[in-house]
Amino acid sequence: MSQPTPAGLKSSARTYTHPGLPEPADKDYAVIGKSKPKIDAREKVTGQARYTADLKFPNMLYGKILTSPHAHARILSIDTSEAEKIPGVKAVITHKDVPTLKYGISPARWDENIFCIETVKFVGDKVAAVACIDEETCYKALKAIKVEYEVLPAVLDPLHAMDEDAPQIHPEYPLNKNTEIHQNFGDVDEAFRQADYVRTDMFVGNRTYQAPMEPHTATSIWQGGKLTVYSSTQSPHYFQYYIAREFGLPMGDVRVIKTYVGGGFGGKLEPTGLEFAGAVLARLTGRPVKMFYDRAEMFAHNRGRHRQYMKLTTGVNADGRILGVHADFIMDGGAYTSLGIATAYYAGAMLTLTYDFENYRFDMNRVYTNLPACGAQRGHGAPQPRYAFEAHLDNIAKDLDIDPLEIRLRNARKPNTITPNEFVVNSCEMVACLEQARDISGWADKKGKLPAGRGIGVATGSFVSGAGYPIYRTDLPHAAAMIKVAEDGTAATLYTGATDIGQGSDTVLCQMAAEAMGYTYEQMKIVAADTETTPHDFGAYASRQTLMSGAAVKEAGDEVRKQLLEMAGEMVDLPPERLSVRLGRISAKDNPEITLTFEEAARTFFVQKGPLMGRGSYAPPKLGGKHKGAPVGTSPAYSFAAQVSEVEIDEETGEVAVLDVWDVHDCGQVINPALLHAQVHGALYMGMGESIWEEVRFDAKGKIQNPTLGEYRLPTALDMPRIHSSLVPSYEIAGPWGVKEVGEGATLPTMGCFRNAIFDAMGISVNSLPLTPEKVWAALREKRKANGEDIWDPMACECFLE
Amino acid sequence: MYLPDFDYYAPESLTEATGLLMQLGTSARVLAGGTDILVKMKSGLLAPSALVSLKNLHELRRIRWDADRGLAIGALATHNEICNSAVVQEHFLSLSEAAHKLANNQIRNRGTIGGNLVNAIPSADLPPILIALGAYVTLAGPNSSRTVPVESFFTGVSRCALEPEREILTEVVIPPQKTTGSTYIKFGLRRSGALAVVGVAAAVTMDGNVVRDARICLGAVYKVPTRAIQAEQVLIGKTWTNDLLEQAGRTAVGCCLPISDIRGSAEYRRDLVRIFTRRALKRAITQGHV
Ligand SMILES: Cc1cc2nc3c(=O)[nH]c(=O)nc-3n(C[C@H](O)[C@H](O)[C@H](O)COP(=O)(O)OP(=O)(O)OC[C@H]3O[C@@H](n4cnc5c(N)ncnc54)[C@H](O)[C@@H]3O)c2cc1C
Repeated sequence: MSQPTPAGLKSSARTYTHPGLPEPADKDYAVIGKSKPKIDAREKVTGQARYTADLKFPNMLYGKILTSPHAHARILSIDTSEAEKIPGVKAVITHKDVPTLKYGISPARWDENIFCIETVKFVGDKVAAVACIDEETCYKALKAIKVEYEVLPAVLDPLHAMDEDAPQIHPEYPLNKNTEIHQNFGDVDEAFRQADYVRTDMFVGNRTYQAPMEPHTATSIWQGGKLTVYSSTQSPHYFQYYIAREFGLPMGDVRVIKTYVGGGFGGKLEPTGLEFAGAVLARLTGRPVKMFYDRAEMFAHNRGRHRQYMKLTTGVNADGRILGVHADFIMDGGAYTSLGIATAYYAGAMLTLTYDFENYRFDMNRVYTNLPACGAQRGHGAPQPRYAFEAHLDNIAKDLDIDPLEIRLRNARKPNTITPNEFVVNSCEMVACLEQARDISGWADKKGKLPAGRGIGVATGSFVSGAGYPIYRTDLPHAAAMIKVAEDGTAATLYTGATDIGQGSDTVLCQMAAEAMGYTYEQMKIVAADTETTPHDFGAYASRQTLMSGAAVKEAGDEVRKQLLEMAGEMVDLPPERLSVRLGRISAKDNPEITLTFEEAARTFFVQKGPLMGRGSYAPPKLGGKHKGAPVGTSPAYSFAAQVSEVEIDEETGEVAVLDVWDVHDCGQVINPALLHAQVHGALYMGMGESIWEEVRFDAKGKIQNPTLGEYRLPTALDMPRIHSSLVPSYEIAGPWGVKEVGEGATLPTMGCFRNAIFDAMGISVNSLPLTPEKVWAALREKRKANGEDIWDPMACECFLE
Repeated sequence: MYLPDFDYYAPESLTEATGLLMQLGTSARVLAGGTDILVKMKSGLLAPSALVSLKNLHELRRIRWDADRGLAIGALATHNEICNSAVVQEHFLSLSEAAHKLANNQIRNRGTIGGNLVNAIPSADLPPILIALGAYVTLAGPNSSRTVPVESFFTGVSRCALEPEREILTEVVIPPQKTTGSTYIKFGLRRSGALAVVGVAAAVTMDGNVVRDARICLGAVYKVPTRAIQAEQVLIGKTWTNDLLEQAGRTAVGCCLPISDIRGSAEYRRDLVRIFTRRALKRAITQGHV
């Protein structure tokens, strides 16, 4: 039924075949694929788990950071003398007391100092720090530090940041341009010329914040020349690397330990300033120093989602096949780079994944403003463009009178294809996801047939299962693992640098270790995310750990199994190939009479050969094209998802009630279904918050108006819809046992899905996030006015008040 | 976010409490549930030299019904106690429902009706329904006490008739009445833990389909919770229809002066006043309970 491709244009993706092993026929797994309870559930629910801020050390001091009250100002002087006189104040530091080496998480743009030297660049920029005998004294000391500022004009509107006469924030970056991207694939102009229909839409994404339950905290301790930092972090490795670099220490002398972490969502991936200030204060005082942010300070430090202005132009042929897309974006980066270079590239790069088109242009400017820096937040750069594109595609479908689900099916990416920007996609069940979402949501019975005020919408999403390249250039493998079996074989400990921040990586990795070893999950122990005792891993970001850390764990587990079966073979006098081990029981494949326990074989191994250990590591293959920015968005594998949601709108107030959401995911082999569905619920929760409620707002001077959980409104349990989380069978050749990601991908479709459901219900388009009741109300009134209806004007009524 | 230093007292009797207030002077404050005052102290908005906790004044926690006086609620009754009280539910279910709409469960467990009133924020959830039901408060001083209708209790944003250096609000009384239906509905930006963008309480006395009496009170749209008298006039003596309620809603907009803030623009709030006044009236008229 599809129309032929116009001459001279490539329209469907190049295909590709992965050289790896095909899907196994026998998937009778003993440990993976099962909803095992979380390995730390008991500690967490009983309150036994100690988070970083719960740690106390003898002689410990408390530290706080003094921040700027101005969005942009020159520091004329800092006088700490009064603060130093206060009893209980043990150290006061400013830029004079710390290394001046600039740092950042993006090597291409290190632009942050531990403390500001000449100017402060946003309300909350770091100016000084104190260490005191208790928290209360810290606040007294902060108050006593006198900083003289000369207030400078500030850039608060990203759309004017690049104006010739705009104030300059960083002298090194003229016109406040932090990252400029121009990527061009195929021939977009020709695609638009040949298209039957071309449409342009403009959308705005909102600045949101991760708002993890646990605030950022770090405790620094020096023992001789060695620095130990306990931190609430998503990546002990990057912290270790950047702390070592900043202080000129060998990495071996910096130990970063993660304890339990109460959520990160991207906001705890980069150094927070607490580690640097804490390390210096601890060095000066010779005592452990605990630093932490309160809720408002977290908002000020920020590194949440960028605000994006997104112009999209798409050319399609008459049956809705996409021929070419032009994405032209501006992004408010805030005062520093943070992870923003990657965010800027991700914003455009990930748009090519769910639909198959070959002509694509992406232009982007990430600008500096005098607002808190933005970074990576669940879905990293991709969710807002995805919202914009899904909304844009629904507009096109409506103009062409094509069902929104149908237009997506017609354009859906197929497995074993290559995107125009050179991402190799192995497994891809986009079509199956859409079809299942259509069927379980009752799309056919609902679309166009719902009662007034009700609507149904669809959107898709896709995300990386780990980034193809680390954040700084290095040839280190991406993940490594060790397994040590206890001397008597009754336990095995997995040592991994992978970072459980609540998502459950400790649990799934132990399931994977047990599966590979032929052991039981219940006997697994884990030591994780301590740069001294566990092998290297880049940490929890880019949804990488199940695939990447999992691959290393599988290799380590396989090595244990191999050695164990060799030992068992010697014990029962059979070649190891004829033995198998499952759930701790070794048996001969062709003779069920011959059995042995894992414990017996492991103990004998220890007696005869020493510790029974396995090692593994993982590095992705070389991925991506040669164009500028080609590495961002590469991944060994991509997840895919379709979401359908049904909403009910109060036609008078504009209030949106989300009734049901059907999420269908292709995430390869599932290791732990309960945790997987929990990730879908959590991602959907965040996506929903960003869709309807969440927005970091600033006053006219660049100060955050709502740095509290009272006024930065995260949805509550009562606001949640019914969630139907479903899966399609899928196998990913690049992942251990065929796994892919789920953690971030489920955030992607949500915003566009709700927008499209509102569009369906009321025929109105809300072109900026969040889709607040007031915006829906205003759009509804506009529509009624346009229809010539008589609208009562609430501003024009008689006033009875004096 | 750290509490400043203050002296703490927990008197055993009301006389002792008011005496302490007199003695401590202007910078002492009463502490009830603390959900408001402690937040203000932590953020540096308020630095009282002393807090006088009412926690030992158990009699101020009681909720009683008396056929002559009506419903008397001690100032220390928490929102959840009011919400779950069988006596409240029997006589003024709409007050129990209003208490349930306030804040979230944690705050409802600690926050008190007295604090909600003395706090005197325009968006507070209990004042509109109390005003619509004609409630009054008792303010006890060291030697005497006085009663003030809730309607005239508020004098401005965060200001009320209570004299903080000598008086304690001891109880809230809703007199027996002929009201046939009442309700409080609120527009918040999420289903729990959201302050009212607009709150509307309505109490009506119906005679068949004829409105004999009506009281409407608007929250969050003026410096104090405010009666919409002109809107009430639209209704009284008339047979109710949807059009009549809409007309009352439109008239109510003239009885308020909302500001634009991060929760909503003035224009949006005004339209919400129309919608919520109409809806509140309809509920009060049709649901059949007070
Ligand atoms: C997260 C959060 C959400 C909230 N949401 C809402 C909401 O949705 N709706 C709403 O209406 N309010 C809300 N509030 C405001 C407030 O907590 C409530 O109004 C509560 O009822 C206050 O009562 P309290 O006992 O805690 O007062 P306190 O904090 O103890 O006192 C408040 C003030 O009243 C004075 N006071 C208290 N009791 C007496 C008394 N008996 N006599 C004399 N003076 C007294 C105190 O001195 C103080 O000045 C919220 C507060 C928070 C922190």
